Amino acid sequence: MSLRIILITGANGGLGTAIARAFLVERPDNFVWLGIRQGGASTEHLLAENPGRCRPVGLDVTLPGAWQAAVAEILAVHGRVDVLVNNAGRHDDALLAQMTQESWSRVIAVNLDSVFYGSQTVLPAMISQRGGRIINVASLSALLAPAGQTNYAAAKAGVLALTQSLAKEVARLGITVNTVCPGYIDTEATAGLTGEARQKAQASIPMRRFGRPEEVAAAVRFLACADASYITGSMLKIDGGIL
Amino acid sequence: MNDATEIKAQIKRMLVENLMLQITPQEIGDDQPLFGPDGLGLDSVDALQLVVALDKNYGLKLSDAAVARKTMQTVSSIAAAIAAK
Repeated sequence: MSLRIILITGANGGLGTAIARAFLVERPDNFVWLGIRQGGASTEHLLAENPGRCRPVGLDVTLPGAWQAAVAEILAVHGRVDVLVNNAGRHDDALLAQMTQESWSRVIAVNLDSVFYGSQTVLPAMISQRGGRIINVASLSALLAPAGQTNYAAAKAGVLALTQSLAKEVARLGITVNTVCPGYIDTEATAGLTGEARQKAQASIPMRRFGRPEEVAAAVRFLACADASYITGSMLKIDGGIL
Repeated sequence: MNDATEIKAQIKRMLVENLMLQITPQEIGDDQPLFGPDGLGLDSVDALQLVVALDKNYGLKLSDAAVARKTMQTVSSIAAAIAAK
């Protein structure tokens, strides 16, 4: 049985872990490379639950050299990369008037530059294979552009545009490129929302609840599956009906 | 068939197979421009595939865009770059 090789960035976060699990549960021939940043949370639990079916790889998504090394390691082991999930992200909210240049640059680097580096690094393998799936995790912030998130909203809106443009470039090579836009999801990114702020956020969601990481992971898994073969350049909202 | 002729024949087969051209390898001239309306009519996406195929098949790395443009003008220019590698 030939393996389907999947690389997920930010795989040690709440959403990344859920996406990894979704692929591991989906098919026995899925092999998941867990892209993790040094110093991030452990992936030991995933490795223990799925012996021989996933493996961590060090990957600071903001460094082109780190991408080259990680993808070279994957190709050395498996000779192919079938799915790239650009999931790594971070936000650092502040009003633009008070935002530091460091905050701006770091958020753009983690959320947008990473998608450029990652896509560019896996494309030669996918072109050679005559197929592949790139799935970018953006955010509803790309569409809502909330106050206090000029850096994050701009980066994620950039991911949407990059997705659409790249999808057109590689469509005839059998490679699809799509985005998911999660709204309020119960992960470490929204853990800071407590009390009144959380209640207010919840009230803005027609479903009156935050989403679960598994609900985003299911959409990512779908965009990578054979049934999604004619979907490219698309954006799928997972937001409980906010937009 | 000498080495140069054989490499050119290989390149033509590679072009047809990788780019799914609707012509035979024999219909491609050694010095026929690969890109543009007066030549084979390849476009930028074909160029992308060609760069990957040349790296995979011959270890020819064309990461610099200007060098890639110059190298991929014709079958002969590609063959020369492979020979000079």
